[in-house]
Amino acid sequence: MSSRDDILGRVRAGLQRNASNATIARDEMLAALTNCSQGPKPGIDAEPKALLERFRLKSELQSSTVDIVAHESDAPAAVARYLAAMNLPKSAVAQPALAALDWAGAGLTVEARGARDADLVGITGCFCAVAETGTLMMCSSPDTPAAVSLLPETHVAIVRASRILPYMEDAWALARKELGTLPRAVNFISGPSRTGDIEQTIVLGAHGPYRVHLVIVAD
Amino acid sequence: MRIGLFVTCLVDLMRPRIGFATLKLLESAGCEVIVPETQTCCGQPAWNSGDAPGAVALAKKTIAEFEGFDYVVSPSGSCGDQIRTEYPGMFAEEPEWRDRATALASRTYELTDFLVTVLKVDSVPGDYEGTVTYHDSCSGLRSMGIKKQPRALLAKLKGVTLKEMNGCEECCGFGGTFSVKFGEVSAAIAERKCDNILASGAHAVVGGDLGCLLNIEGKLRRMGDETTQVLHVAEVLAGRV
Amino acid sequence: MEIKSMHFKANASAKLADVVLQRNLKSSKGKFVAKRAEAIKDLDDFEGTRDAAAAIRNKVIDNLDLWLERFERKALDTGAKVLWAKDGAEVCRLVVEIARKHGVTKVTKSKSMLSEEAGLNHALEAAGIQPVETDLGEYILQVDNNEPPSHIIAPAVHKSLDDVADLFHKVHGTPRKTDIPALTREAREVLRGHFLSAGMGLSGGNFLVAETGSVALVTNEGNGRMVTTIPKVHVVITGIEKVIPTLEDLSTLMRLLPRSATGQSISNYFSILTGVKKPEEHDGPEHLYFVLVDSGRADVVGGDFHEMLRCIRCGACMNHCPVYQTIGGHAYGWVYPGPMGSVLTPLYAGIENAIDLPHAATLCNQCGVVCPVKIPLPDLLRKLREKQTERGLRPLTERIGLRLWAWVAQQPRLYALGASVGARYLKWLAGDTDRIRLLPTAPEWSLGRDFPAPQGKTFRELYAARQTRTKEST
Repeated sequence: MSSRDDILGRVRAGLQRNASNATIARDEMLAALTNCSQGPKPGIDAEPKALLERFRLKSELQSSTVDIVAHESDAPAAVARYLAAMNLPKSAVAQPALAALDWAGAGLTVEARGARDADLVGITGCFCAVAETGTLMMCSSPDTPAAVSLLPETHVAIVRASRILPYMEDAWALARKELGTLPRAVNFISGPSRTGDIEQTIVLGAHGPYRVHLVIVAD
Repeated sequence: MRIGLFVTCLVDLMRPRIGFATLKLLESAGCEVIVPETQTCCGQPAWNSGDAPGAVALAKKTIAEFEGFDYVVSPSGSCGDQIRTEYPGMFAEEPEWRDRATALASRTYELTDFLVTVLKVDSVPGDYEGTVTYHDSCSGLRSMGIKKQPRALLAKLKGVTLKEMNGCEECCGFGGTFSVKFGEVSAAIAERKCDNILASGAHAVVGGDLGCLLNIEGKLRRMGDETTQVLHVAEVLAGRV
Repeated sequence: MEIKSMHFKANASAKLADVVLQRNLKSSKGKFVAKRAEAIKDLDDFEGTRDAAAAIRNKVIDNLDLWLERFERKALDTGAKVLWAKDGAEVCRLVVEIARKHGVTKVTKSKSMLSEEAGLNHALEAAGIQPVETDLGEYILQVDNNEPPSHIIAPAVHKSLDDVADLFHKVHGTPRKTDIPALTREAREVLRGHFLSAGMGLSGGNFLVAETGSVALVTNEGNGRMVTTIPKVHVVITGIEKVIPTLEDLSTLMRLLPRSATGQSISNYFSILTGVKKPEEHDGPEHLYFVLVDSGRADVVGGDFHEMLRCIRCGACMNHCPVYQTIGGHAYGWVYPGPMGSVLTPLYAGIENAIDLPHAATLCNQCGVVCPVKIPLPDLLRKLREKQTERGLRPLTERIGLRLWAWVAQQPRLYALGASVGARYLKWLAGDTDRIRLLPTAPEWSLGRDFPAPQGKTFRELYAARQTRTKEST
């Protein structure tokens, strides 16, 4: 007997599985998968301005820094300002999805591609953002490779205010609507990488970025 | 109203005055209190040690002795919890006993809970003077919701000032047979509790379960503290008996 | 992993005497507790969320066969491979086979308790494959001669800054540093090289999503992302009970898991990984394997301990456990410490191999009230005690003693006599003092404390006397 059959056989025996209870259980399973019912959620003011404010506040609590610009075309200059203020290099890798922005015009040398170990700054967009916790939702694709938000020591993300949603549940609904199936990697990112493994003292920059800067485009 | 007083085996053996304090509190609130002579133990030690048949036999005995009263009251959250929370689940195969256990459970109270929730007493006869800190015993707190009741009653005593210690809801390390099976670990947990008691600066530590209080008193004395009083809440509330 | 739970009591004594450990425990105790208490405040309906989480887990474990089949089908649709392992030996065999098939000589690992259960690192090394633990805590333990973890969330919580400073100085051959950020940076630099050069990444799975055939991974350090993004092969090792229905359910559970574990509203990285890299993608594994592990779980389904399968491995029960806080995790002798470990170890490693563990609890129920999926841990510990008694696994003296006591307690007259003799005996032991220094009937009690003297007569004696007096006076 294969291990699979052995394991499932013992699970079925434990549950006293038979044809009639299997039918009922299968119907319940399909109902659960169709209904996608939601649990209790904390109350959040879903008015756009309040959402933006909550997202900013929660992001800052996660040790991200936040800047707000009026238009997407203002983003490269905002990124350049941040890098200069932090004394960080002016060269960066950006997700190919952001290739069209005028990086050179802001004085930055940006290569649109997947990330390499030597990259010090990674610039990404995001699929959407979650105000409840101050979280970015990143969906991987050829245009939005996952490692750009992971390998560099500094991660700058451009977030459109119109894509800030109240809850993670809203992000799933949006993904189902716009993407159909889930991409290979959905990464929810809430601030820089951190560890508390030595004496429960929180240190930023464990394996991923030391710092996360969010440029919110108000549009 | 007729109250059956469940004294508990520890009070019977170690601190009869807690039993008399309980009597005084109930009687001064106008209750008729009966102490069934044949009562022994609720069976919790057997139940918690894995001796289900022994525990079930003692549960049946206790149910038979106490089901005739309007209420059952005990100066212990631990024994009260055994009757209220555990008894009904012991009789999965005996529906008649399950019904009797459930009926008894619904009428069983820990002392301070009974005074506050059922009798809604306005005053208590005690005359203790000093600062006290309250240790919340585990079963009473987490299974029976005993938290505000003893504090509300202590607040009725003019001479008593309540000074909460850190970690008042943390276990004292007693745990019934745990204290004699793992004596070292149990005493180490008690030490943390006693450190918190001493740091509170209170004249007395007060609690609702004698098991915890014996553990705490034993540890305080071994630590060299000879002054902190260790009192059952009934003793403080009842005054001289 | 070798099981040392039979030595719990001796282990516990040793841990109490370990000055360094006691200092570390004292400084870590309370941090998890305080952070969790703060973090649950921003859920308006914390209890309702716990109920919902318990219901989600019940939904799956009550029909685990169907949910597993459903997950497997969806995972296969995404291009993943699904393998099944009955026990740790099979986990090791399967993982070594996968590594060999892909010509892998180095494996980077994100934290996996099942890999600890199976002793996978040992098996990989024996097969000439280098396992590299990448969670900072796990890494510290691995380079310290493969010390086992003492906590499921914070594996190296028993180690102090000084311990780590000495260790890194020794194994990295670098100047000794006592600055936590500098030590973290040093580990980062060592591990970055491994992340980039490993042929295979290995992770556990916090949840398996039946709706999408995905694995959900929660990390703060980003090592979980590294091992699932960079190597060509990703292997997920996870217990069969980890399935949940939908993405919405994931959101509900994520409101509780980080809060219960570390007191965070969400972990820094929460990754939902589905299938393999597409040809035009820049990163991600080309091969994804799920190893679904039984190792005792299937036999728990539907039985007395079924509810334990709800566990989401947050560690809140141990963080809040007075016994764990006092002796740390190693004393428990296997992979899982604290209350959940005292239930899981007997179930997965054999009830006869962990006789002490179900008793190593005061039944204070602090674990039960913090458990995010409402597992009645004290009830399960008590049931295990019953099983031990039924199987005659407790010491004979204890069994006879309990039986005798329960019998006497059913004979009121005999009991009353015994109690009054007992009260007098204890009073005699105390002499004219208010305490007994050494309790001959229970010497364990006296190891660290006195036993207060009784009043000397029983309540029933004094009450009977009072009743007589009352009658006489009326």
